[in-house]
Amino acid sequence: MSTDRAAERQSSRATVSGQQSNPPIPPLQKGGKGGFLKLSILRRFVLLGVVVLFLLQFLRINVLVGGLSGSLAVWFVKLIDIFAYLESLVASRDFSTIALLSVLPVMVIYLIFGRAFCGWVCPMDFLFELVDKTKDWSKVKIKVSPRAGYVVMGAFLIASFLLGVPFFTRYFSHLTNFFTLLTSGVFLSLDLPADYMVTFFAGASIFSLLILEYLFPRLWCRVLCPVGKMDGLFNKISLLRLKFVEGSCGECNLCEQRCYMNVRIVPYVVDQPSLRDTNCIYCGRCTEGCAMRSKIIKMKLGR
Amino acid sequence: MKLSRRDFLKASLVGGSLYIAGSVTGVTGSAAFAQTTEDIPGPLPLIEVGGLIRPPGALPEDKFRAKCIGCNVCVNVCHVMKYDAISLLGLNLPSPPFTKESWSAFFNSGTPHVKAMRDFPCGLCMECPKHCPTGALQKVERENVTMGMALIDFGLCFGWNGDVCLSCSKACPMGGKIFDFYNGEWGNQPYINEKCVGCGLCVKYCPLGGSAIKVVTRQQYEKVKPAYVDDFKKLLSMQTEERYNVVYGQNLPNIMSRGRLIEREYR
Repeated sequence: MSTDRAAERQSSRATVSGQQSNPPIPPLQKGGKGGFLKLSILRRFVLLGVVVLFLLQFLRINVLVGGLSGSLAVWFVKLIDIFAYLESLVASRDFSTIALLSVLPVMVIYLIFGRAFCGWVCPMDFLFELVDKTKDWSKVKIKVSPRAGYVVMGAFLIASFLLGVPFFTRYFSHLTNFFTLLTSGVFLSLDLPADYMVTFFAGASIFSLLILEYLFPRLWCRVLCPVGKMDGLFNKISLLRLKFVEGSCGECNLCEQRCYMNVRIVPYVVDQPSLRDTNCIYCGRCTEGCAMRSKIIKMKLGR
Repeated sequence: MKLSRRDFLKASLVGGSLYIAGSVTGVTGSAAFAQTTEDIPGPLPLIEVGGLIRPPGALPEDKFRAKCIGCNVCVNVCHVMKYDAISLLGLNLPSPPFTKESWSAFFNSGTPHVKAMRDFPCGLCMECPKHCPTGALQKVERENVTMGMALIDFGLCFGWNGDVCLSCSKACPMGGKIFDFYNGEWGNQPYINEKCVGCGLCVKYCPLGGSAIKVVTRQQYEKVKPAYVDDFKKLLSMQTEERYNVVYGQNLPNIMSRGRLIEREYR
């Protein structure tokens, strides 16, 4: 079996390098779907579920309390975002067991699901998709190396260290600001003590991110957002990954066209058994694209 | 299309300027929304609170703002416990005379504090320090909380002006050990000693309009302590004639003018 695959891969590589005629592109299949439910719809249900669980806290049902940068699950498990933990660590210059214990469950989640957080749970992904719909973005491709994001990440860590405050997480983070906007909005409407400034600031920062998205589609997710960059590192070892099942890739590029994150998928398909890219957010749009023709890309959990 | 350095700079400029513009509109917006609270001056108008009253178990100010990521867990935990005492601080951009205070206000943005003790005091349920995921709030015994220190305005307190009120001591979650009573012909004269944790329940349950008790930070208390204790001792050692003038001449008109708000609804 494995030798078969290897041979096949060998041959496909040979055809690519030899610039001979590619294997024929399979015809477009009608009604080709990724599974029982389209992944991009399933994704939205997951996001809706998470937001609803967070909203339940205002009815004093404590399933998930807090926001996505730090929260409390079922009144027992503390969770804190990894980048927020790093910033808090360098800002305070002091190791804290509580913070470490709350970052460990999150790391386990990332070890299993990789950067799936970005595609499935982050509310900005949904908002950005709404912005994307206002314009045809297929022609606009911004080619900044995703590696520039590590410089941004380092800059925020250094700023946190020098200023002595978790700089990104407290002021710029979309996760903090999105849930702060929710909380302060609810508190103000219930006439509980909340600061108008908090609402305005959180709303303004979310809005400016949407404007940025309108001008430079997915620049934030792809390059700038340090939270996503941090999670992307786990993609290299995560259990969840995109596997390529047997079949001939016609290099129709449907997968790459559908990818938000500008991942070069085809070279992986040709060369490797699975995709290990730090920018993949496991949104599953490539599998949907692929399903229209050859059904090679599948999202699989496990080794 | 390749994104050149210029485009990248443009992107960061646009993003940054929008960010600042947004926050500035936030500033003016909040000014427009300025709350119209009671016009009555609070107790002890000469003494400032002297900083922020943090939730129980908070680390020292520098450490606290280094660790706190503004994640809203304490705010929502407080809401789930039905107290709603904690709220986040809004953004305070450092203003042109870049003093140390303005920078400190900027770095405090997004951190939790107990905002309105008159309506929403801390109930000392001790859930927020237990559930803080960052370690900015540390687990602490109820008795050892040092959120602040409650000071009684002797000129406004019923107990110091010929009445027996006891509301504050009844509201106090720490029980009798916080209050010393100096009973005499001028009332039951309560005095809050240094075991006070600063939860602010007495502030809420004081029946006087605008409350006769003010909670200040511990640092501020250390500063104002000599004058405050001096005031207290002077009142106790006063002659009857002199005390009569203080109570009937100065204090009672003050109290009566605030009395109308006694019927104010509690939340």
